[in-house]
Amino acid sequence: MDSLFGNFDLSAFASALLLGISIGSIWLIAALGLTIIYGTAGVINMAHGEFLMLGAYSSYMLQAYFGVPFFLCIPASFVIVGLVGLIMERGLIRYLYNRPLDTLLATWGVSLVLMQGVRLIFGSDPKYIAVPQMFQESVEIGFFSISLFRIVVLLITALLVAMIWYLFYRTRFGMQVRAVTQNKEMAAAFGINSGRVYMMTFALGAGLAGVAGSLFGVLNIVLPTMGTSYVVQAFLVVVVGGGSLVGSVAAGAGTGELQSIFAYFTSDTFARFLLFVLIVILLRYKPQGLFAITKARR
Amino acid sequence: MFKSNPYHNKTAQWVVYVLFFGALAFVPVLSDDAFMMNQFATYGVFGMLALSISLCWGFGGILNLGQGIAFGLGAYGMAMTMQMQSQDPETSPMPPFMLNNSVEQLPLMWEPFWHTGWGIFIALAVPTLFCVIFGTIMFRARVSGPFFAIMSLAMLSAWYTIILDSQPFTNGVNGISPPAPLSIGGFEIDPYSGFIYWMVLFLLAAMTLIIKLITTSKFGLIVQAVRADSERVRFLGYSVSYYETVIYAVSGFIAAIAGCCWVVAVQYVSPAQLDVSFSISMVIWAGIGGRMSLLGSIIGAFMIQGGQSYLGDEFLATWLLILGGFFIFVVRFLPKGLAGLLESGLGLLVAKPAAERESAPGPVAGAKVQG
Repeated sequence: MDSLFGNFDLSAFASALLLGISIGSIWLIAALGLTIIYGTAGVINMAHGEFLMLGAYSSYMLQAYFGVPFFLCIPASFVIVGLVGLIMERGLIRYLYNRPLDTLLATWGVSLVLMQGVRLIFGSDPKYIAVPQMFQESVEIGFFSISLFRIVVLLITALLVAMIWYLFYRTRFGMQVRAVTQNKEMAAAFGINSGRVYMMTFALGAGLAGVAGSLFGVLNIVLPTMGTSYVVQAFLVVVVGGGSLVGSVAAGAGTGELQSIFAYFTSDTFARFLLFVLIVILLRYKPQGLFAITKARR
Repeated sequence: MFKSNPYHNKTAQWVVYVLFFGALAFVPVLSDDAFMMNQFATYGVFGMLALSISLCWGFGGILNLGQGIAFGLGAYGMAMTMQMQSQDPETSPMPPFMLNNSVEQLPLMWEPFWHTGWGIFIALAVPTLFCVIFGTIMFRARVSGPFFAIMSLAMLSAWYTIILDSQPFTNGVNGISPPAPLSIGGFEIDPYSGFIYWMVLFLLAAMTLIIKLITTSKFGLIVQAVRADSERVRFLGYSVSYYETVIYAVSGFIAAIAGCCWVVAVQYVSPAQLDVSFSISMVIWAGIGGRMSLLGSIIGAFMIQGGQSYLGDEFLATWLLILGGFFIFVVRFLPKGLAGLLESGLGLLVAKPAAERESAPGPVAGAKVQG
């Protein structure tokens, strides 16, 4: 704690600010799929962490058994986890849309099954995903040094956000999604198949988790329990952002930056505690989050 | 044939309560296996936790995924009390793990635990106070439903990391294991005896009684109204956040008692008691047993924890698969859990009025699904 006011180091502080952007991008990419699923269907998907984990394992599997190059594993993970999400939505979630608390519990049951299933198939020892040598190196930007892979994560996050924005605000499908989000019955009256919209967005959200998972598999080791460490942060990003895309981007960047700044003054864990307390206070004044989606009260 | 569903009959409910706890009280007479008594006492603690979830979630409609906070804080308070009982102000003023972490003086936070009475008071007061403060902030802001569940989960993970990280004060991941059993006024509570079992069972029965009385009171009626439609209750002029906070705090208080009993029984506490998966298993117990039923939740906890201990060895690899699958099934098809199944089953015995019998299939009592 004695670093609180003493020996303030400007360049170290600037590094902390840059690191915050990287942390924010990691939390944001973890939260993207969750945002879409929650924002559209109002489903709290507790299995999201396990979707991340499945993404990491599908990349690992493709790489270790079929020799697929890493950057092809990412889209492949999108497809594989997206299919898992599709099956889950058709088989379980669609029966629970009017019971939000029950979707939370049912998806927790799914997460238990997925975690144990993966443990039975792959074992509980850690796996590693290999990336080309050049991405394991660090780059120096003046006084600041960051691993190249973190920059890749940042770029992929930016790319995904741009693609989602385009999909939701510039395509016919996106307009249907927004219509269903705002008023399901009215949208249905205009001939939009809301069941199909929910199904597609759930699969899309799951697929995005798959992409994030295959990146996390490189940042960290691949374990059956790896999802749980990301999922709470991802949920906080969604809660703070209010479930909209712009909200999640703002919340991801903001919380990541604050985490890094607090961590600079105190320690990593205490920073997390401080951040959580701050979010509780924020919710006191903005219970719907920063950028809430307007929904018809039913 | 009955006139109305016997499941809802007040007298029948009280008879079942008396029979249930009466039968459990006889268990130590049949067996004097000390290890088993200890294990059954821990099941009683799980029963208390399921009871507190049933009050909060089933009855108050507040899904709390962070019950581990109250449980863990209560447990840590009791562990600190018991630890200080084996310290001496003159010769060994500090617990051994602090010396290993090169702490030079007993932290201020630990000072009140010299006195057993104060220690137990703090162990119960701090978690309850936390629930009151956190509940007030959340419910005043009208955070409810899934958002509250997520926030309680986030809070739990914050407490988990802070306790894990405060190695010099809490012994980090190793936790605190007091060397001697708790003694109150010279009487030592032997954790491997029938006494601990009876103590836990008595507390469980007393809390079930109190909650039953709360739920049947006028206060309880308003809480149920809040669960059904909080907006309407607000329009009628009631302070919704007050009722929600009280129910949340009472439920936290019960969890804190459970935490104290846990440490008395197992003489051990670690951050694992604040683990996210443990808090969610409490919800799973209540969910499978039947969150709307106090006894159902308790039996759910007994069943699942018992199953884990006795069947777990056989199905070691697939136990979580079975549990997860069963839980999905219950949520999908039996939102009121196994107690709801019993309720519908008993409803079939009800003699239908003559008029209704003519107009083909009558409504099955109690089959209404609540959100």
